[in-house]
Amino acid sequence: MELNKVAYKPKLETRQHKQKVVVQIFAWYVLLSLIALVTIVPFVWVLSTSLKGPSDPIVSVPPQLIPHDPTLTNFIRVWGQLPIANFFINSVIVATTTVVLNLLVTSMAAYPLAKMQFRGRDALFYLLLATFIIPPQLTSIPSFVLAVKVFKYYDQITALIFPSLATVFNIFLLRQAFKAVPNDLIEAGKIDGAGELRIWWDILLPVVRPTLATAAIITFVQQWNDFFWPSLMLHTRQHMTLQVGLAALQGMFASDMRGTAAGVTMTVIPILIFFVVLQKYFVRGLGGAVKG
Amino acid sequence: MTKKIPITPFLFLSPALLVIAIFVVYPIFAVIYFSFTDYNITNPPVWVGLTNYIQLFKEPVFWQALAHSFIYLLVTPALVFLCIFLAIIVNRKLPGINAYRALYYIPVISGSIAVGISWRMIFDTNGLLNGVLLSMGVINEAIQWLAEPVYTLPIAMMVTTWMGLGYYMMIFLAGLQNIPEELYDAAKIDGCNAWQKHITVSLPGLRPQITMVAVVSSLAALQVFNEVYILFGPLGGILDSGVTMVFYLWRLAFRMQHAGMASAVAMVLLVITLAFSVLNIRILERGTETS
Repeated sequence: MELNKVAYKPKLETRQHKQKVVVQIFAWYVLLSLIALVTIVPFVWVLSTSLKGPSDPIVSVPPQLIPHDPTLTNFIRVWGQLPIANFFINSVIVATTTVVLNLLVTSMAAYPLAKMQFRGRDALFYLLLATFIIPPQLTSIPSFVLAVKVFKYYDQITALIFPSLATVFNIFLLRQAFKAVPNDLIEAGKIDGAGELRIWWDILLPVVRPTLATAAIITFVQQWNDFFWPSLMLHTRQHMTLQVGLAALQGMFASDMRGTAAGVTMTVIPILIFFVVLQKYFVRGLGGAVKG
Repeated sequence: MTKKIPITPFLFLSPALLVIAIFVVYPIFAVIYFSFTDYNITNPPVWVGLTNYIQLFKEPVFWQALAHSFIYLLVTPALVFLCIFLAIIVNRKLPGINAYRALYYIPVISGSIAVGISWRMIFDTNGLLNGVLLSMGVINEAIQWLAEPVYTLPIAMMVTTWMGLGYYMMIFLAGLQNIPEELYDAAKIDGCNAWQKHITVSLPGLRPQITMVAVVSSLAALQVFNEVYILFGPLGGILDSGVTMVFYLWRLAFRMQHAGMASAVAMVLLVITLAFSVLNIRILERGTETS
């Protein structure tokens, strides 16, 4: 009797425990899926609207999620009336040029701030950090005047590239990365007769490649999604980036919800693909930014 | 051993310093100057002393914009609370958890314009929300969500919060993963249940992330423009109900050609931003002293 009880009890407990775990895991998935619903419902609705044919009502009681008369004509109509391909090309040029040049400039600046001894180094670094909190909209008026009167790049995509050539955030990120590189590596390079430029390019940059990737992605997405400054600068349709073009599309297709939805769908999908492909760098970048 | 000739560091620094000097430092001084002038961008500025500020402080819309920007700061506590909660939820080893994290991150990378237009289609009088509410019988006739001044700020703030969820969640997730497992084991021995251990271990452990999220999201809240512009159009909502400080600055400078007065708005915003940053740094320093 006594023995039986002891032998039996744990067995029952494990079965109950197993059931409990299964229920718990199920509950987690329900919760996770409910949250996912909240984060993607607007896009699902946009996708659905973009595929709706003329006989599918946009609004109905109850709302219709799956089009009965699915069609791609909305996409063709928007593509035909707005230079969406130009928007794309402009956004790609702006984002990639900015990333390449910005990383060159900021990694160059980060090297002395991390590894060289000179007077005023820390003061300079903190001054740079202080400019980080200045919102760019705040200085938009003088920047606008510079663009129109000095650099004369109003309504050209170069207007979006030049002001973004050096970002304090990237200087900060790369300085942290350079600081973690052992000094022996630099000394070894010097013994081999490498100059500072060679040390920066051949020794330091390859070592901090993961940080470069992170900074590149953050900068790319920032430039890709920037709206305030580009909307001030770009007015000719052919010169617009995707964000400015999308805002124009909203005005143009104000009474055409299917068309607007098609435009949004076309512009969101490429950046989503970009994200899915490079997901691990996004995550690492955010983690690293806080630790530093 | 060898003392560097100071010229080398500055050669490396010069491209970055040049760009920052032209596009950040010079504009700050220029905007300070413009704020004391009558200026419309086309004609040269004319010194008028404090006129812009006096006029601005008499302007009801300015006070409205100021109030709206402060109200907008409520997105910060909302984001801190929701994102810690989200991070705790996604911080577990379940098959497919990465897919869920990615789904929560989609609003972050989609860009505020696409997000704004998408939410417009939800809140439109002929939108999804009215459709759902009508079919559930909650309301009898469609509500004009985007044309009612009382809903303007709540809708914009909701969209801002929604866009930030995934971003700040990832920051807290990284923070949670840095907290040593032993601390949770110790809490368990002390008799903490699943949620209590987050109060006693996770929250103190996330202190640096909470500070960072508070700083970043409140600075972003003070700068809000895109959501209001896309959701409520270039007027900033019925009766200026969505006009924030940056929106007001934009409208004065680039719609009404009052660049001088807009610069005064910029100065007020600068003072608020600096005050906020000092406050945040104080809190941050106090946090590191005690721990």
